Amino acid sequence: MSSRYLIQGMIILWVFLILASGCARKIVRPNVVPSPGYAGPQVGGPVMEQELQVVQTNLKPIYFDYDRYTLSPEAQAALQYDAEILRRAPHLSVVAEGHCDERGTAEYNLALGDRRARSAVEFLASAGIAPNQLSTVSYGSELPVDPGHNEEAWSKNRRVYLRVSR
Amino acid sequence: MKCKVPEGNSFEKLPPANVEKVSSAMAETGLCHSVSSQERCRGIAKVRFKSRVTVLICLTWFLVITCPFDADCKLFLDLENPQLSKMPIAVPDFVGQGASLINGRDLARIIKNDLYLTGLFHIVEEAPPDPQKPADSSDFDGWSQTGAQALISGTFQVRGDELIIEAMLYDVALKKLELGKRFSGRIADHRIMIHKFADRVMEKLTSVPGCFTTQIAFVNDGPSREIFAMDFDGHNLRQMTRTGSINLSPEWSPDGRGIIFTSYLNLKPDLWAMDFSTLRPNVISARPGINASGRYSPDGKIIALSMSFNGTPKIFLITIHGNIINMLTKGMGNDISPTWSPEGSAIAYVSDQAGTPQIYIIPANGGEPRRLTLEGNYNTDPKWSPRGDVLAFTARIEGRFQICTIRTDGTDLRVLTKTGSNQDPAWSPDGRMIAFQSNRNGKKLIYVMDARGETQIPVSPITGKAPAWSRTGR
Repeated sequence: MSSRYLIQGMIILWVFLILASGCARKIVRPNVVPSPGYAGPQVGGPVMEQELQVVQTNLKPIYFDYDRYTLSPEAQAALQYDAEILRRAPHLSVVAEGHCDERGTAEYNLALGDRRARSAVEFLASAGIAPNQLSTVSYGSELPVDPGHNEEAWSKNRRVYLRVSR
Repeated sequence: MKCKVPEGNSFEKLPPANVEKVSSAMAETGLCHSVSSQERCRGIAKVRFKSRVTVLICLTWFLVITCPFDADCKLFLDLENPQLSKMPIAVPDFVGQGASLINGRDLARIIKNDLYLTGLFHIVEEAPPDPQKPADSSDFDGWSQTGAQALISGTFQVRGDELIIEAMLYDVALKKLELGKRFSGRIADHRIMIHKFADRVMEKLTSVPGCFTTQIAFVNDGPSREIFAMDFDGHNLRQMTRTGSINLSPEWSPDGRGIIFTSYLNLKPDLWAMDFSTLRPNVISARPGINASGRYSPDGKIIALSMSFNGTPKIFLITIHGNIINMLTKGMGNDISPTWSPEGSAIAYVSDQAGTPQIYIIPANGGEPRRLTLEGNYNTDPKWSPRGDVLAFTARIEGRFQICTIRTDGTDLRVLTKTGSNQDPAWSPDGRMIAFQSNRNGKKLIYVMDARGETQIPVSPITGKAPAWSRTGR
């Protein structure tokens, strides 16, 4: 039991360090002392799950302008940040989920979401992420994160989320 | 002013041989003395007015203009006439024999709603009938004074589980029976029987049968995105898919036996088919990226759809089993939402190759696309009219989305909706009506309007979007 608490403590520390690093390019990995029950990130299990969650929660969404799939400077900065994280997790696969705001035709938005996801994936590939790690799925305007009907909600909904899995 | 229903044809007068069972559920027969084909008008508009002096003057002029060689003009709506005015028609409550759940007011209401939705009729609501006392034909004068040019009257009879409906269409001015039909079937099918009579009324008055037994499939706009189907007037709602996933863009197979749709059953947008006999989805195309907006060719042998496995969504033609026939569109634009011309020789679709989504037309066997929409910076979701002359589409106008029509040569742009946001047009198979989704009353519902947008009413009993109109009746 105590080893589990130790691991959880380390995970919390790890999250804290990543958050504390802010916009720093480097992810600070804590110097984990091997202990019983911890076999490193190559093996599945609860620790692996938590590492996955850490990566997931640290990935930044990429936002887009209305009816656009080109990457703004802010979007490129977010992707650069995400690429740094993903480069250190080559064993994870990444699905870029493309989303649109509610306005417009569902079918056209499906195509637009597809292009947004592809824009993100192409950027990540050019930043050194292995293409076989990357795939896309467009949700069009079907899954808004903010159900509102105003620009504040729409700007949050025009996004690409990077979803990691093993 | 109180008018009475002119005497119909009593059941005793009909020879029993005149009633035949068309299907296990229902029979439809013509009455023996319906108008003979010799009386059919040749040529163009023939509308008979009566009653007011001014109308008579117009009528004289009208007859001279339109019917110089044919004195036998009769009740007719010429759909090619742009100045066509609505035909006033009265549909008094049907008169029933035998107590049952069926009531004559509901039966009449079904027809009234059908005819109203075509935008071609003015429903005369005056002059409630006297259900107790069938009147003689002199009552035509009374109906005439209400302004009605046409009159539909009917009777019904319940025998156990069986319902027999007789319905008649009269020319009020000529005091003449234009159409008489008898239907028999299960009580539960009473709406279809009435719709079938309304189909025949449209055929009599416009020479093109109605499509009131057709259905609309749509996607529920709630937490669940399952596909539902309903009669075109919103009745008989039933759930078709139970995938538990997001479903999009239903499309009826031309024979009406199933649908194709885009579903996230496998966590990405793939094209699926579902036969109504099994209700089990089968995947048609699950290539990487999107497999979306599938549309059957008119002969049902080819599916046009948008796929992005090459990197950019492009219009492809595939077999109904999912094998690629060819890639129809080229270039860098996002291409989606194909729609076939009625004869299958061309396909319209949306592309943002010029920077904003616009509608293009390309020959179905490949070639150079031609841009159709030149106004506005957001024109999507084209649907080719079954009549071939126009396309309906969604346009963003002053920040909102409206249903428009445009001729295939790019002229005569018309905005049919005004309030709220309106999207996803879908033509009725006769090209007279358009179903669409609107949020004008707060939530997204499926509406039906006539092709000129004059009458627009919500029909879906639940929230919905992406309506698709079946090409066949029930």
